[in-house]
Amino acid sequence: MLWYIVRRLLYAVPILVGVSLLTFLIFYIAVSPQQLARRNLSAKNPTPQQIHEWLAEHGYDRPMPVQFAHHLEELFLLRFGKSDTQGAEPIWESIRQRWKPSFMLTSMIFVAELITAICFALVVAYFRGTYVDYWGTLLCVLLMSIVYMVYIIAGQYLFGKILKYFPLAGWGRGLEAWKFVLLPMLVGVIVSLGSSVRLYRTFMLDEINQDYVRTARAKGVSERAILFVHVLKNAAIPILTTSVQLIPALFLGNLLLEQFFDIPGLGNFLVDAIESQDFAVVRAMVFLGTLVTIVGYILTDISYALVDPRVRLE
Amino acid sequence: MNRRPLSFRMTLLLLAVLLAAGTFALPGCSDNPYPPGESAGNVLYTSLLDDPKTLDPTIAYSAEDDVVICLLYSSYFHYNFLKRDPFVLEPDLGATMPRQETTFYAVQEKGRSVRKPGEKWIFSINHGLHFQNDPCFPGGKGREVTAADFLFAFRRMADPTAGFPLLDSVEDKILGMQEYVDYCAQRHKQRLGMDYDKPIAGLQLDPKDPYTFSIVLQKPYPQLRYIMAMHFTAPQAREAVLRYGSDLARHPVGCGPFQLSEYHHKQSLVLTASPYRPPLTYPTEGMPGDAAAGLLQDAGKPVPLVNKIVFTVIREPVTAWNLFLQGYLDAAAVSQTNYQQVMSHPGELSPEMKRKGIKLYRSVAADLFYFFFNMEDPTFGGYTPQKRKLRQAISLAVDSQAYIDLLYLGLGKQAQFAIPPSIFGYDPTYRNPYRQYNVARARQLLAEAGYPGGIDPKTGNRLTLYFDNYFTTANFRQIFGLFKKQMDAIGVRVVSRTYRYNVYQDKINNGEIQFSYYGWSCDYPDPENFLFLLYGPNKGPGPNYARYANPEYDRLFVQVRSMEDTPARAALIRRMRAIVQEDCPWICEQHSQVYAITHAWLFNIKSHPIALDTAIYRRVDGPQRARLQAAWNRPNYAPAVGLALFLIVGSLPALSVIHHRRNRRVRRKEEVAG
Repeated sequence: MLWYIVRRLLYAVPILVGVSLLTFLIFYIAVSPQQLARRNLSAKNPTPQQIHEWLAEHGYDRPMPVQFAHHLEELFLLRFGKSDTQGAEPIWESIRQRWKPSFMLTSMIFVAELITAICFALVVAYFRGTYVDYWGTLLCVLLMSIVYMVYIIAGQYLFGKILKYFPLAGWGRGLEAWKFVLLPMLVGVIVSLGSSVRLYRTFMLDEINQDYVRTARAKGVSERAILFVHVLKNAAIPILTTSVQLIPALFLGNLLLEQFFDIPGLGNFLVDAIESQDFAVVRAMVFLGTLVTIVGYILTDISYALVDPRVRLE
Repeated sequence: MNRRPLSFRMTLLLLAVLLAAGTFALPGCSDNPYPPGESAGNVLYTSLLDDPKTLDPTIAYSAEDDVVICLLYSSYFHYNFLKRDPFVLEPDLGATMPRQETTFYAVQEKGRSVRKPGEKWIFSINHGLHFQNDPCFPGGKGREVTAADFLFAFRRMADPTAGFPLLDSVEDKILGMQEYVDYCAQRHKQRLGMDYDKPIAGLQLDPKDPYTFSIVLQKPYPQLRYIMAMHFTAPQAREAVLRYGSDLARHPVGCGPFQLSEYHHKQSLVLTASPYRPPLTYPTEGMPGDAAAGLLQDAGKPVPLVNKIVFTVIREPVTAWNLFLQGYLDAAAVSQTNYQQVMSHPGELSPEMKRKGIKLYRSVAADLFYFFFNMEDPTFGGYTPQKRKLRQAISLAVDSQAYIDLLYLGLGKQAQFAIPPSIFGYDPTYRNPYRQYNVARARQLLAEAGYPGGIDPKTGNRLTLYFDNYFTTANFRQIFGLFKKQMDAIGVRVVSRTYRYNVYQDKINNGEIQFSYYGWSCDYPDPENFLFLLYGPNKGPGPNYARYANPEYDRLFVQVRSMEDTPARAALIRRMRAIVQEDCPWICEQHSQVYAITHAWLFNIKSHPIALDTAIYRRVDGPQRARLQAAWNRPNYAPAVGLALFLIVGSLPALSVIHHRRNRRVRRKEEVAG
């Protein structure tokens, strides 16, 4: 298994280089370094001299291949440097401050959504073919059909403005953060519930139609024992593996929820960087995102091998 | 051991109980975003659209930055909170108004030393001023502010890594500043740090008095008094700059009325009244009507009147508006989004707002929005009578009021010339003959310019005007749409050329555009800060985007910029206005105005177009706010109860399904047994 992990990590190198190159090229097509300089200089009409100074200070005055090679070296060494914006602070410092709100939000959504979706999937699978299944499926499709933004706006309007259960937006320090995380968590869970219940229901029904379930029924095992002992245990394998790959990404936060609920997390950090054309932050966050995704997939493979004795990593 | 699985009915019941418990637990939460009890205190709650880019007073140059910095760093002057027409400068950290003397300085010209006349401004500061406590000082205790700290702020302007935004304005005025700027740039190229000890001839300390300093100007610069009211010239502690460097952007060390207590990036800034704040008081005199408006109730009281200001970063205007309605923000802006809800008629609040005790204010900005021609363009530029008539015709066809009505909620003042109301040189009686909407006259002038009916006789096609822009927002697209419609009325075809901002800026700088739109908000209340937008030497990459160059205008501008506000200055401005009127490089659109609303518990609201420290005069009735917040934000339990009941009732048929399946299983067992 160790050799397998090493091999997978080596495969990651060209992926990371490719993603970084794409980010670099896209950014250069969308925003020229001069534009970056103009945006970040405080003068209303910066002089060519000021622009040149800024470019030199941030290393954007060198030929593109040299810049890319330098950026790549820094990224692989995880030396993200400073943000391109005024009064910039080290990017690692920002990440250190911002991963906690992100993780708090996304991990709560992850756990709550996982438990809720499994429960609902079990119920729907148990009541397959009845009104619960039909209405549940319809509800899931409805939930999947609505755009994310609608949930956010409707959630803020209904639970914040009309019912007045939660603050509309914001964040607090320490325990104060708790009340700010509930509404985005609720929205996050509702948003992903439809697709998850549908998916997990499929996993459950796949198992329900297996031969071993028919055998158990023939032996007179009760329906609840079949569902909780046999079906749930076997359906947990795909659920586990689809979930494990999400775990590393929990640190990177949620772009939309953080943006709309003014949560100072990493998702918001990336959105801000894109809006303010802060290339230093964008390339660091894209690199980190790619890295985390690759780690997620490796963890998925490992978890497969751990929970399913038929799978061997070689 | 054989584990028995949980009864399915039990599971279902558990799920329903959990959901119901969750539903019932919701109302236990509060929608108040602030710590319990804080709202009743002497705290001002306000919002920012974004995190300040920087809190470094030498660098900051945006509204979000300035509104915070001006509370952390005080300067020699500040603007009187209540007085207008004209704006009145008063000493803040300064002890007196500066004394001006004529002086002589020596310069080397053709190898000879030549004595030239200059101006010496002598400033005296208050004794006993202190910087806030900070670890950069010995023992962490803020030391006394001296004259040297003011001059240190000027030295920082020369730091090439800082990028001081107004360097062009001061470097050629202060004796020796240009040399110091070049010296610092040279050191920077050699990767050497700043040399803050090199003498600068124009920045002088009084060897006998640590509270007095002088600035020697090599040319008259009356605007220096306004510069001394800006945060760029606020005293800065050398210790802080050396310790924090570029981190000064996040670590302000000032001597203003407030100090930064908490800074949560992209989240909030909390400012608390500084124990070392300058000894300022609320003005005792105002304008007619101020007393009746209750603006003099706090006359003579020490300011700031609030102990704490909480700036919450709220990027979505809708969120800010909802928080205002809930009472969690003390003030809000009126925009197109909330206009229908706020106003029943122009200038009148809706019954809902009146019921909440909300107050409406109109604030007038010192700015100008204008269309401009490229005066070097072969078709629309130039100074011949035909070219002038062509631009005048287009100007006559632009109905500014339509923009104001359609895009700015009917707020705004039609602009006749560059200078806005309340700035010296503004003439309320002046009517620019080419800024009176008159389509018939426009058509006539267009014909006289050689384009009858808007047809270019050379090509036989309609005359085409290229509107160069970087418009991406809906508002800007509306401006273009309206302009196009107005030009259609005189037969001129308008084509939009949209560029990325950087390309647009390059084209402006290189004079490669034909026609565009721009806005300017002044840095200080002096006509020079508007008239310089048409000064010939300021054309690209300078702020003279129209590339206007009229020698007579330029000659008058040089005179006007160094004059005090006298009738002679006003007369020269009128002459400049007459020149611009006929040349018509601009189509002045409007001076903007906005509505703002505040809650009943907030007092002393009077907008100031220039000053940004007005928060120090705000007064808050905290207990009233807490009472109203509680009344307005009682949770509504009914939908939660309804949802719980619906879930329970909806689960009942499922129980019968379970029961039915159980019976079927029992029957099957009985059949097997039988």
